[in-house]
Amino acid sequence: MKVTLFATCLVDLFQSNVGKATVELLERLGCEIDFPESQICCGQPAYNSGYTKESKEAMKKMIQTFEDAEYIVTPSGSCAAMFKEYPVLFKGDAEWETKAAALAAKTYELTQFIVNVLKVTDVGATFEGKATYHTSCHMTRLLKVKEAPAILLSHVKGLEMTPLPDAQNCCGFGGTFSVKMGDISGQMVEEKVCNIEDTGADFLIGGDAGCLMNIGGRIQRKGQPIKVLHIAEVLNSI
Amino acid sequence: MAMKTSSAKFKDRVDEGIHNDFMRLAVSSAQERLHGRRLTAVDELGSWEDWRSLGEEIRQHVLSNLDFYLHQLAENVSKRGGHVFFAETAEEASGYIKDVIVKKKAKKVVKSKSMVTEEINLNATLEAVGLDVVETDLGEYILQVDDHDPPSHIVAPALHKNKEQIRDVFKEKLAYTKTENPEELTAHVRGILRKDFLSADVGITGCNFAIAETGSIGLVTNEGNADLVTALPKTQITVMGMERLVPTFDEFEVLVSLLTRSAVGQRLTSYITALTGPRDEGDVDGPEEFHLVIVDNGRSSILGTEFQSVLQCIRCAACINVCPVYRQVGGHSYGSIYPGPIGAVLSPLLGGYDDFKELPYASTLCAACTDACPVKIPLHDLLRKHREVIVEKEKMVPFSEKMAMKAFGIGAASPMLYKFGSKMAPSAMSPFKTGDIISKGPGPLKTWTESREFPAPSKESFRDWFKNRETGGKPS
Amino acid sequence: MTGTIQNEGTFLNKIAKNLGRAPITKGITRPVWKHAPQFEVLKHATPDDLVNELQEQCKRVHTQFHLTDSKQVAHLLKQVIEELGNGQLIIPKDDRFSDYQLFDVLNEKGVHVWDHQAGKKNIELAESANIGITFSEITLAESATVVLFSSKNHGRSISFLPACHVSIIPKSTIVPRMTQAAAAIRSKVNRGEVVPSCINFITGPSNSADIEMDLVVGVHGPIKAVYIIVEDK
Repeated sequence: MKVTLFATCLVDLFQSNVGKATVELLERLGCEIDFPESQICCGQPAYNSGYTKESKEAMKKMIQTFEDAEYIVTPSGSCAAMFKEYPVLFKGDAEWETKAAALAAKTYELTQFIVNVLKVTDVGATFEGKATYHTSCHMTRLLKVKEAPAILLSHVKGLEMTPLPDAQNCCGFGGTFSVKMGDISGQMVEEKVCNIEDTGADFLIGGDAGCLMNIGGRIQRKGQPIKVLHIAEVLNSI
Repeated sequence: MAMKTSSAKFKDRVDEGIHNDFMRLAVSSAQERLHGRRLTAVDELGSWEDWRSLGEEIRQHVLSNLDFYLHQLAENVSKRGGHVFFAETAEEASGYIKDVIVKKKAKKVVKSKSMVTEEINLNATLEAVGLDVVETDLGEYILQVDDHDPPSHIVAPALHKNKEQIRDVFKEKLAYTKTENPEELTAHVRGILRKDFLSADVGITGCNFAIAETGSIGLVTNEGNADLVTALPKTQITVMGMERLVPTFDEFEVLVSLLTRSAVGQRLTSYITALTGPRDEGDVDGPEEFHLVIVDNGRSSILGTEFQSVLQCIRCAACINVCPVYRQVGGHSYGSIYPGPIGAVLSPLLGGYDDFKELPYASTLCAACTDACPVKIPLHDLLRKHREVIVEKEKMVPFSEKMAMKAFGIGAASPMLYKFGSKMAPSAMSPFKTGDIISKGPGPLKTWTESREFPAPSKESFRDWFKNRETGGKPS
Repeated sequence: MTGTIQNEGTFLNKIAKNLGRAPITKGITRPVWKHAPQFEVLKHATPDDLVNELQEQCKRVHTQFHLTDSKQVAHLLKQVIEELGNGQLIIPKDDRFSDYQLFDVLNEKGVHVWDHQAGKKNIELAESANIGITFSEITLAESATVVLFSSKNHGRSISFLPACHVSIIPKSTIVPRMTQAAAAIRSKVNRGEVVPSCINFITGPSNSADIEMDLVVGVHGPIKAVYIIVEDK
């Protein structure tokens, strides 16, 4: 099966390991990976800051980039949700509306793709350790992917999952919120990290690079030994 | 108290909020309790998504036919002998109410909890002409006794206060001598307010939902104060936001079910009351005279705009109870009588961007509010739309941000530029790096790095890795 | 007597203008809603199921629940009154009190029957009464709610001013939830009957959680609530 990867800008620039793990994991599951070089960013930073006009330029570029893709897979619930929002944004735009709808229809978040399209629940991974999972807001609430990550993690050999208290609360990332409202964001991530510490887990796993950068940054600042991993990295451990 | 509750700057209010440990503990424990209760109430009801869709459909139908239903309501209220006053502004509304009361030569006014009366600054207007105005909702009463401390939550207005603080306020102002036990505190208030109910000349209520078909006013409480406010004084004045109505008792029932479950996780609250007109002939209790004041105060200008859905709101506070930002900063940080996500959407619309332009940014757009809303208001999306208006119409954003976003628009649409930028990023950031992290970020990163590390850009970007791998360059 | 309406025209015209259409003051009919989950709740419950549901819910709303029949109800009411500490009683003028043969007990304990001709005196008596006793018109099993209609013979104060509220619930008045009560009220409206000036949906005693979210039972209204279900009525 041919899969076109949307790596996302955060993964491309800051977390290339996540991109590598995604590629290797999908290849192991029998996919052929294509990475169009003209991809950049889903446009969310500008869109969520109220710069709709500016964000649309980025969006058009993404629509063009992925026009020929059969399946678009991205290791981010948030960016996938943004792609899914494109048809709403281009509503009434004769040139772009249909194209936006086509893009949205073939976009999948990584775990969603593995479980719902590849119909795989056990990726054959082995990972020793005790971990907890951060359910990112956009993946669960906007994209409505709630089960897939847990299903996949439950089949990872050696992995002990422990529930995260107040898992439903946002980690405080929120894109530009984290710098614009840095004080509040800092308090939010501190509460999140305290909850993670309380689980006694050695690993914090998540499905969105933004949240992981935020939570990871706080864990590092506190000098905690908890390691932060993207779910792709865990599923790619054999 | 009008919409605005503080003249302090947003940043200072937030600063005070996040350093108020008691308040934060109170808010987070309240959120957890209410979250659990709401989920239980919703689960046991079943088909919650259908309930929400029904709630949304009813509210949208009413809003798109608002003039029809208001007309029907007014006709039916007047048929039953009630007086209806349509008030376009806060001043018109509070002025009318003041005139009615003054004409009655009334001295004492008892009130049940009403956000819209806060909005129209009613208490101050009445107190200015020498009236004794008594709030009878326990939470509101506590705030009133404490020199008009503003409410911090639309359902539990005194959420930010602990029982020791309340005891001290009562000691100072009410000659209270007992302990901080909530039952003792409450019993003391019961004793005082019972006398007020019996001696008041006028009762003022808000309105949870008016019922157009019968001209009835629906009131929802747990304390029963709204019932005493309306049963005992000779005159009843009800103040309602113009959007708070339903076609018939059938829809009243549905929305009450949504409201009580979402607000407090109860199947119904202790007292749901439907009042129609003044007392009937021969009745001994109930008001002899009834006035309904229907308030616009900026609402009509929301109709027909992309923000119209905010008028679907039934004031349950479910969005506030799940908001992770409210959890950290508390209600007073919003500087509005309407805090939390609903407040951040509503306050700039009713009170203007000048006073409330920061509120739409006090959200991570995590959508917990949208998910919790029983009438499906897309709150997080409305917050984002506010940002759009602030950028495009109000032009209230800093120049540097505008430039950065312009650059984003150009950079994110141009692969060449992006590639150049991403190649430069590791070296551009290198002066700030220690190992793989940035602990003291430049420019906008400064606030981030005050509480956490920022990662340094990967030495090799993903795209370079992928390209090299394909061409057999570097091993993975 | 008809009341006045002020400023309606300009107010409604502004609404219509902002909605982008001509004003509408007639001709709107309520649509058939696409969803109707309210009719599914306790849809297949038998009368006994409803009593059970009511009993379970009473535990959650701090309300004493008693099940009896028309032969025993007077005796049970006496017990309940004694447990609540006796004191002055107040009841509406309602034929069911004699139908259920309750006056022997009520008179023995000392009762005031609401008498609208006595005017304000009724309110003073309600205020000093320990127990107000009512008959539920419609009873909601789901929420353990009694529905009362005010009239000149049934003052609102009876269920609010006394320290305790006892409601007698004929089993035949029990319906699944508020949906059925709303429908019953609407059919009154459709028949052209006048809606009572006050309809109360009362669920247990008065309470508040305004201080630290700690529930306190008994704020402004009754501190105790008791339901007596009469099986054969």
